[in-house]
Amino acid sequence: MSNAPQSAQVGDTLPLLEFGPITRTTLALYAGSSGDHNPIHIDLDFAKRAGMDDVFAHGMLSMAQLGRVVTDWAGIERLRGLSSRFTAITPVGATVTCTGRVAERLDQDGEPMLRIALTATIDDGTQTLRGEALISAA
Amino acid sequence: MGIFNRSSAGYEAAPVEVQVERGAITFFAETVGETNPIHSDVAAARAAGHPDVVAPSTYPVVLEMAASKETERKGQQEVLNLIGADMRYLLHGTESYSYQGLIFAGDTIDIISRVKGFSDAKGGTLEIAHLELEIRHASRGTLAIAQRDLIHRLPKEAAA
Repeated sequence: MSNAPQSAQVGDTLPLLEFGPITRTTLALYAGSSGDHNPIHIDLDFAKRAGMDDVFAHGMLSMAQLGRVVTDWAGIERLRGLSSRFTAITPVGATVTCTGRVAERLDQDGEPMLRIALTATIDDGTQTLRGEALISAA
Repeated sequence: MGIFNRSSAGYEAAPVEVQVERGAITFFAETVGETNPIHSDVAAARAAGHPDVVAPSTYPVVLEMAASKETERKGQQEVLNLIGADMRYLLHGTESYSYQGLIFAGDTIDIISRVKGFSDAKGGTLEIAHLELEIRHASRGTLAIAQRDLIHRLPKEAAA
């Protein structure tokens, strides 16, 4: 269930978000639209020379999904912070499932805030991102 | 030991001016699957009280790439190059944004890149570069600060 930010309680979960499957086309479009042209994500020959079996998805493509989990629910106007640790590589073909959970209610300079714990997980259960967001609950 | 150019610690680049473009925001928003029309439809953005389409939450990374390309065009050294990043071994460790204001299409912003420092992990098999980026608007002030850790998974010959 998901209350509005003003009335949300610790433990409330945000609506789940699924993104994918991530294709090579997705990665080409993300490289183009983000300006991140690192060849490890789009050039198989380069990836193999670097000792990888295949290209893999930009971590920031998944972080964009963590951002969506929060802003779809609370609105980008409330977003004060978003952070992520990239804990595993996201392979081509993966579908990313993103979760959000209200982890803490706090007060920052007199403004009520919520800390949201975020995760991204791929089909085989591997957690690929672990993050958090800070939003205004005013 | 290591590959990063550690003498670049403490470096702050001169501000790079970047135009925030409506088409670019829309293309990015569509690619990452944004469904909120304030990121792609001017009328929807204005109806929600914004002057133009709104940059999504991770858009600072796009503005950084734009600033980095602009720096290269001017024949100056951009940060990845300056810190000696080797794309074969480079991984993205963490990314963190603090937001102080929204970014809209039509904004002219300044990007300031900083090299905060370097550290080692996992017994010298990983080395980490700590970077920071500030997005500043002439009248609205600092809109966002991004912090990023980039990691080299070191090949044996470069490990400590």
